[in-house]
Order: sequence, then structure tokens, then C-alpha cells
Amino acid sequence: MSIPGVVGASIVDYTTGFPIATAGAAPNSDHEATAAGTADVVQAANSRSLFVSAMPHDLLEDLIITTAGGYHLLRMLQTDFDSRLVLYVWLDRVQGNLAMARRGMQRLADELVAP
Amino acid sequence: MGVTVTAAKTAAPGRLLTQVAGERQTGVLMVGGHPGGAVYVLEGRVIYAESPAAPGVGELLTASGRLAGRTWQNALDLGTSTARVGRLLVEQGHLTQGELELCVLGAIYDAAYFALSPVSAPLDFLSGATHWLGPVVHVDPAAVHREAGRRVRLLDEIFPDARVDTAAVAPVPRPPRERITLTAPQWELLVHADGQRTPADLALLLGRAGFATIQELRRMAAMGLLELPETRSEGPEFVRLSHARGTAAEVRRPVPSGAPVPVPVVAGARAAVAAPPPVAVVPEPPRHSLTEESGVVYRPPRLARRKPGAKLPKEVAGESPPEHQGTDEVLLKRIRTALRTMR
Repeated sequence: MSIPGVVGASIVDYTTGFPIATAGAAPNSDHEATAAGTADVVQAANSRSLFVSAMPHDLLEDLIITTAGGYHLLRMLQTDFDSRLVLYVWLDRVQGNLAMARRGMQRLADELVAP
Repeated sequence: MGVTVTAAKTAAPGRLLTQVAGERQTGVLMVGGHPGGAVYVLEGRVIYAESPAAPGVGELLTASGRLAGRTWQNALDLGTSTARVGRLLVEQGHLTQGELELCVLGAIYDAAYFALSPVSAPLDFLSGATHWLGPVVHVDPAAVHREAGRRVRLLDEIFPDARVDTAAVAPVPRPPRERITLTAPQWELLVHADGQRTPADLALLLGRAGFATIQELRRMAAMGLLELPETRSEGPEFVRLSHARGTAAEVRRPVPSGAPVPVPVVAGARAAVAAPPPVAVVPEPPRHSLTEESGVVYRPPRLARRKPGAKLPKEVAGESPPEHQGTDEVLLKRIRTALRTMR
């Protein structure tokens, strides 16, 4: 939660839409519903659209959903072992800085799995 | 710490887990049956779960190449007796704490699905037992139990046929339509499905989560890309007992007049290329049409979900007499099933 303007965050298994870890608030105070929605969005971008098939070995890195009140950032966690996890961060539109948050999430995702 | 064993009894695994969690017990809940599993609790919190159908932490880390088999074995040799295999791997710099936690969490929910989803199973609680991995994460048992139930529903929303979860995976020789889009995990499964490997075999071989494997297989079954097992008893049983056929589906329903002679096993495209079967081939509806197959659910609670008026599959409605099962292929499939259980 070291990123400024973060309202809540979670790590979501996007094959099942289940939050394996949560922190802070979630939209409608419902981390599980948020996780299910997160999984839907990731699945749509990953397997039901052609964005990630544009060139070989292309990978989905992150997704940004902008609403009037905030940003919802989803970053894929790349682990060597099979995990299929996505890091979700809800960012306040006024207090948060999208560019900084994105970089912070990238660092967080890298540090989580890199020695 | 002494280990006491409660008498084996048959009950709902989730209920016993809730009970031991409420009493803040430490030990392991052993779930029998197929595939069965074990859930480890430490002072009422889940610290690990395992099942033969779900790759464990070791399989996930070595099958993916994240850890060399030797590294994993060393950690096992050093840390098993003191239950700190997980901590050793982090201390020796082979894994980050984050990686280990994510891997263990994934393994817990994956195995818990197989261990906790049966409505009833033979259960044992070994009080005082701990797992050699050591406590890496602590999970709320209620969340684990709830998630196992949710996953059952997720699968049924994709394709409500639990036979897909346990039967040997056999891709159809000819796809049912001209153009098919596969995801990378689906491709991986199809390439490695040799007609003998079960979903659990494939999950272990590929180092993929057992539930994720089943999920992809149900999706492929819904797309008509997998041959559905023709004879299967209720639930994830590997051996079909001789009486199972009569009791598997409790549907009191008259045999439709003029019911076609059941054509066991040989279906669709394969019938076209195989030698003419000894029985008359009756034109069949496509085997994978959803309306037809949505009735083929052998777990008793799900029978109620059948759409009113939907046609029953032949093997349920027709209750084919034994002499019709006598074809060689059915016999061979039975022998194969029996052999597999003896491994």
C-alpha cells in the first residue's frame, strides 16, 4: 500500500475469480465480487480478444479501467510456476497518480516474485 | 505432541473442517474416496491442503522448472523432520517469500476443491499432525470451504457434466466445426491428451493446477472437442461397480416407445471411419449438443437442474440391457478402467 492514493488492493486468481489476498477497501465493500469482475475483465482481454495474439510471445501486462471517481489497475503477476494471478489496485482519481501507480505496481509485481 | 486418530466415518468434509476449526484444533482432516485429499489445520487455520488430483507445491515448482528437482529434494531431506521445508527454500535463497506464499495459497485452494467438494466422504481427523512444508500461510477455513463450493458451481455453469473431471481425456478425432479458437492452456492439454491420461495425470504432467485443468477441459467439452465417456457411474468414482448402473441415476421414467437400439461407444466421426459395427447404426443427434448433454449429470443433487422436457440421454432413459454392452470396445474400456485403479 506504498502507492499514494490507493483505496484498496487484492491479488486475484483470474481462472476462478477468487481473491487470495486482500487489503483496504473494495468497490461496494465486496472483495469477492470485485475479484469475480476482475477475472472477467482479464479473461476477456486474455482469451476472448485478439489483443494478445498480435505477435508471438506477446503477453498481457496490465489493464487500466478509468471511471469518473477512480482508476482500477490490473497487473498480471508473472510467476514461473502455474499461478494465473493478477494484482488489482483501486486508485482514487484525485489523490492518485496513474503513472506513478503503474510503475509502483510493476515494481511490486516484480519484487514479489524476483529474488 | 501426540497424534490421535478419530474413528473413520462418512460425513461432509466441509462440516468437519468447520467443526475442527471452531475448536481451534491442530491436525489433518483426511478425506477418502476418489480423488480425496487432506486439509491441514494449525490452531483452527488452514495451512496446507493436498490431493492426488492437484499438483502440490513441489510439483508446481519443479514441473515449471522454477526449482531443480535436486534443490527441492535437498529441502525435503533437510526440512521434513522439522516441518520447515518452505522456510528453508526461502532462507537458502531459492524462492522469495512472495513466490512461496502465492504458490502455497494456490495449492491450498486447488487441493481443497477436491478434498472438500464431495457431499459426503469417509473422513478421519488426525489430531496433532503437521505438514512437512511448515506454516507458510494461514487461511480462514470458512473461506476455503466457501470457495470449494463456489468452484463446483463455476464448473457446472461451463458444462454440467462431472464425468469430464475424471475420465481419460480423449479429443474428438474431428472437430465439430470448421473454425476453432483455443487458448494456450487448452492447446497444451490437447497436445498431451493421449486417450489414456486423466485430467489429474495431465495436471501433474504439466504442473498446472488441477482445478484450472478441469475448468479448461469442461470448456473444451462444451465446445464439443472432447469425447465424453459413455459409461460412467455417479461422481468421481474410478471403478464402476456392477450395481452402479441401476442406481446411478434415480430416474423413474418409462423407456420411450421405439427407443433406438443403443449404439455404445462408437459415435459420430469415428463411426464413419471404423469398420461397420455389428449392431445397426442409428443416426444420432450430435453427441455434444448442450441441451442433450445437460441431462447427463450423475451427481444426485444436480439431477434437478435438468431442463423440463429435455431429452434424457439414451444411457439413462434407455437403461440398456446388459447384452447391448457386449461390444468389444465397451469391454476394453472397462478393462482399462479397472487396470487404472490398480496402479
